[in-house]
Amino acid sequence: MPSAQEIKQRIETAIPGAHADVEDYTGGGDHFRATVTAAAFEGLGRLEQHRLVYAVFAAEIGGPIHALTLKTQTPSTLTTTN
Amino acid sequence: MSTSPEPLPMSSAQPSPAPAPAGESNPIREAIEQAIGEHDVILFMKGTPEAPACGFSARTVAVLQALETPFAAVDVLPDPRIRQELSTISDWPTIPQLFVRGELIGGCDIVTEMYESGELAQALA
Repeated sequence: MPSAQEIKQRIETAIPGAHADVEDYTGGGDHFRATVTAAAFEGLGRLEQHRLVYAVFAAEIGGPIHALTLKTQTPSTLTTTN
Repeated sequence: MSTSPEPLPMSSAQPSPAPAPAGESNPIREAIEQAIGEHDVILFMKGTPEAPACGFSARTVAVLQALETPFAAVDVLPDPRIRQELSTISDWPTIPQLFVRGELIGGCDIVTEMYESGELAQALA
């Protein structure tokens, strides 16, 4: 059963330069909420951004990882909105 | 306001262990593609709008109802092949999935985010 820390590391390893904040919001190791910030998302729509993150886990999504709630953003979105 | 989901032919299909190989007739995939083509707004979900079987599906239904959008709904639970074929068509791993005029909008996260920003109302207009 993956931990939030493991999910975070896998996202950050697979998407160069990404920063992920991951929370196991049920404590059960199968429902996670992640906010991922990555320059790699620049120029992509939300669908494509989320697909990049889902691709890290492939068939585990819907399997051992029942839910991965995602919010994706680019570093430039951060500077404009914060 | 929501239209009741019309039963699609695939709902009554019997499970089979192997998906149809590419190139051969695939009635479930064809039924899904037809449903996406026929309905301006269609939600593939777990359960029904009246009785959602998953919190993410429930939240997505609530968003559509808040916008007073009429939508068709397909329950993916009766046959695991519906979900499998849908994800192959859409390149999207999770349920729910909202399609507007034939295009995947996203799942619960994107639909919720777009609702909050006002983009969803624009996409549905």
